[in-house]
Amino acid sequence: MEEEKKLLLFLSMYDLTINKLDQIYSVLGEDRSLKAFFKSKEIEKLFAKDKFEQLRQLYDENRISNYQKNLQNQDIHIITRFDSTFPSQLKNLPDSPYFLFCKGDLTLLSCPSLAIVGTRKPSNYGRVVTDKFAKALAKEGIVIVSGLAYGIDSIAHRKCLEVGGKTIAVLGSGLNEIYPKEHMALASEIASQGLLISEYSPNRKATSYTFPQRNRIIAGLSGGVLITEASIKSGTIHTKDFALDYGRNIYAVPGNIDSPSSELTNETIKSGQAMCVTSPSDILKDYAVMKKKEHKTEQAIQLSMDELKIVSLLQDGMKDIDYLAKNSNLSINIFNSYLTTLEIRGIISRLPGGYVVKN
Amino acid sequence: MLAKVKSFGLQGIDGFPIDVEVDVSNGLPHFEIVGLADTAIKEAKERVRSAIKNSAYDYPIKRVTINLAPADIKKEGSLYDLAIAVGMLSTNDENGIKNQGDYVYIGELSFDGSVKKVKGLLPLLISARSLGYKNFIIPFENSKEASFIEGICVYPVKSLDETVKFLKGEQNIEKIEHCSYEDIKNQKVSGLDFCHVKGQAMAKRALEIAAAGGHNLLMIGPPGSGKSMLAKCFPTILPDMTFEEALEVTKIHSIAGELDLNEGIVSRRPFRSPHHTATIIALTGGGTHSKPGEISLADHGVLFLDEFPEYSKQTIETLRQPLEDGVITVARNKATITYPASFTLIASMNPCPCGNYGSKDRECRCSPSQITKYLSRISGPIMDRIDIHIEVDSVTYDQLKSVEEEESSEKIKERVNKARQRQIERFKNDKNYNNANMSVTQVKRYCKLDDKSEDLLRGAFESLKLSARAHDRILKVARTIADLEQSENIELSHIAEAISYRTLDRKYWE
Repeated sequence: MEEEKKLLLFLSMYDLTINKLDQIYSVLGEDRSLKAFFKSKEIEKLFAKDKFEQLRQLYDENRISNYQKNLQNQDIHIITRFDSTFPSQLKNLPDSPYFLFCKGDLTLLSCPSLAIVGTRKPSNYGRVVTDKFAKALAKEGIVIVSGLAYGIDSIAHRKCLEVGGKTIAVLGSGLNEIYPKEHMALASEIASQGLLISEYSPNRKATSYTFPQRNRIIAGLSGGVLITEASIKSGTIHTKDFALDYGRNIYAVPGNIDSPSSELTNETIKSGQAMCVTSPSDILKDYAVMKKKEHKTEQAIQLSMDELKIVSLLQDGMKDIDYLAKNSNLSINIFNSYLTTLEIRGIISRLPGGYVVKN
Repeated sequence: MLAKVKSFGLQGIDGFPIDVEVDVSNGLPHFEIVGLADTAIKEAKERVRSAIKNSAYDYPIKRVTINLAPADIKKEGSLYDLAIAVGMLSTNDENGIKNQGDYVYIGELSFDGSVKKVKGLLPLLISARSLGYKNFIIPFENSKEASFIEGICVYPVKSLDETVKFLKGEQNIEKIEHCSYEDIKNQKVSGLDFCHVKGQAMAKRALEIAAAGGHNLLMIGPPGSGKSMLAKCFPTILPDMTFEEALEVTKIHSIAGELDLNEGIVSRRPFRSPHHTATIIALTGGGTHSKPGEISLADHGVLFLDEFPEYSKQTIETLRQPLEDGVITVARNKATITYPASFTLIASMNPCPCGNYGSKDRECRCSPSQITKYLSRISGPIMDRIDIHIEVDSVTYDQLKSVEEEESSEKIKERVNKARQRQIERFKNDKNYNNANMSVTQVKRYCKLDDKSEDLLRGAFESLKLSARAHDRILKVARTIADLEQSENIELSHIAEAISYRTLDRKYWE
């Protein structure tokens, strides 16, 4: 076992593809050790000639222990298929990763989890829906898994952290090469309050094919996949397909039939691949967690007449500010100040484009 | 024969006295001007000769040398023609000119002897008055401009002949009657009015606050949402200019040659909207023939920058000094000139390159990185100087056609004027004159919050994720909102409203 771990550690330094690793494993058979690795003629054939020679020369015991120390200094844990912490749901996948680089709370890997994925360019509807589901599910203790991308991914992470929930971000790049750069701060927040994982070595940059690969881990790691909003061209389709292959539950939030950004969700619902969900409790049923009663009434009592007027105008969905200002019959200065106080108390949210929505 | 007359030159926005010394002596016919004169002055030779000849006076067939003293300051422009001609004519006793030294002469000559208008008369007269000069002879076309200055005698002339006859005592010229600024300042109607802008209640309110406190404002909205219309109406609610402000603005416009000579004084706050291809020099001023730029022409008024991120990064960054200090200092190889530039910046931009980000009915075609890139064209330091940002959404057809009466600019302006009055009271011992220019210590002194408001602000920072730089901005805007309501203290509702004008600090641009 010890020998095998060493072998995997050694291989993890070189960013080999899953295919290559599979080949190496099938050649080695039962004798999985570094010794066997360097001895085998067949393995030598798997690599370009000088590449294998290089590997042989680079190898020594100190190098592996230095590598381990180095990772430790960066607070990066590397877990291999043979560690007890390696998530069992991943182990059984046909294309399971051989090792994972992790930063943060490793215990999250064994908690009930749900992936929330979707378009990188959400509409206001997508924002509202993601916000609602991420918050509600995180509050119930479900770990939210997503990919740290723009749009739905980052909203899911953020909203989850906002309510003190736990979240896992699966990266399509090394842990030190956060992509997109704008989410650097978010990533470090997740590292301290949740977990960042990646199958790529820490300094590996993201490339176009690493993201679909990353999606398989998102799908494999999670108990289910929720698509809140995605168009037919979205990369989310990969996550969905992986989830289907792995037999994960897929949930999708329906959207307007004429909205291009809800094409994929509507399509998966229509084809029966996904379960149509309209509230977080639809998902919670599958997770066997009982939804606790919320104490919303408390808030309602505290609202003044004027505030109530604004909130009641929002009862049937998103409205733009001018409409609200006009129909609440409040003078604009009073209206603006109520808007802020309502927002601070978390009763409403403001969205891009000057829209307001009730939470 | 030697003659000496007075004229005035211009440096930056101030005038300085010039002695025009004319020496006519025997020798070969020759004409020379010395004293660092530019081409326009050198060419005075031809204008003066033709003007004198065509006014039926004798042009001396002698050696003529003109000196413009002090000789070490560079002089520009055609405004010395009249002084040179009068000087030359007074060297000949036959013309019978007396008392030529009592006046300051400013004017350009035409070949037929008529006196033509000049640029920058007002600043010259103001400087001359402060140096104790009393009598002036100026072009008739410039009379309106000169009429607003008290305590000097200004004689407008139409031709060289008239000037000579006046100096000989043969013809009387009425001096310009003083015109009071108070009489004209309220006459202006620009045709624009907020009552023509339908809907946009939020934007109008924000503009009212910006006008009252002198806050810079940024509008974000899709194309066709009426951002430019709102900005154009903005000057109609700005508080009236005081006479001192009007003089300063007129000075700058006079130098730039942008003054309407029929009005003579700029009594409406200027509205400048340079195109985004404008060069840095067009904005800041300067150049070979130093001229104030757009930001100086917007002094005490509005500088409207439409499609803000389209301006080059450097251009936007040059706005930093004027936004901070209210002046722009331009260094050129000949001199360093400081022009006033205390304007209110109104900027507008689309939320993304295609303009549809966040729109309900149109799809945005931009990638997230494009949007971030677009927004990041406006740097933090510039954002720091913009107190109010609001989103402007397109108006629906129903709103457009609504017959509901919108509030007129006049009514809004009344409130703005009152709020400004409170600020003038508050800052009477300080250098600044509006809330937007408050220093850190002033913010501490004048923007005290009670416990409840303090709690609200703290809550806002936590739950709305406002950035730290928003703190003082919010306080300043809250101060102005309180002023608009004639309230001594900043109340809870004021601070709550102020927070709602910080769109860009939100983290929802993701």
